[in-house]
Amino acid sequence: MEKERKPKNIFVQGAISPEKIAHSIAAHQSKTDIGGHSIFLGQIRADEKPEGKVIAIDYTAYEEMALEKAFEIREAIFEKYPLTCMHIYHSLGEVKVGEICLFVFTSSKHRKAAMQACDELVERIKAELPIWGKEILDTDNHVWKVNV
Amino acid sequence: MPHTIHIKAFGMVAETIGSDSLEMENPGSSEALKQQLFKQFPGLKSMKFSLALDKKMIQSDTDISQGKEIALLPPFSGG
Repeated sequence: MEKERKPKNIFVQGAISPEKIAHSIAAHQSKTDIGGHSIFLGQIRADEKPEGKVIAIDYTAYEEMALEKAFEIREAIFEKYPLTCMHIYHSLGEVKVGEICLFVFTSSKHRKAAMQACDELVERIKAELPIWGKEILDTDNHVWKVNV
Repeated sequence: MPHTIHIKAFGMVAETIGSDSLEMENPGSSEALKQQLFKQFPGLKSMKFSLALDKKMIQSDTDISQGKEIALLPPFSGG
């Protein structure tokens, strides 16, 4: 029987810890029909801007809309690829340079579906979820992050 | 009959208007709302942003009926 899927909270307050990621990987050891995982980790980069150097990003979101949209994307990706599992976590609030702000994790029987689904998910998350990054600079200024 | 609408603002739009929410009399449509906002907050004129009604992005001029949730969304920059 098809499992009914419901909107999940994707938001994590602050940085996503390496322990959380390790724990998430370990939690899949019991799912023995999985043959491949694909993981994307977004990390805060210390960009040099004309206004100063980035030391952190402060994320805000239109949370209700983001969760609805994330659910819609999730359903579409499950429809398109033969996946066993899919997990999306995005930070809210301040995340310092070098820390993880996005964790996308897909699993399937064979590697290609997991890899392609992961790639497509990351692209859609960045383009379609109402989330904003305010880049905090070492000069006490800030600039609004622009996705390329 | 005039009624009040509640608007949520995010990112650099919220920064420009100095608040993450505002109320105003319903101007009737999304285009009229934009004109009203430009009048009230001239800083928005040079800014790129979209409107969402009930959490759906709108692509063209749309009527704003009572009780709709309106949001002003600058370009997304998650990830």
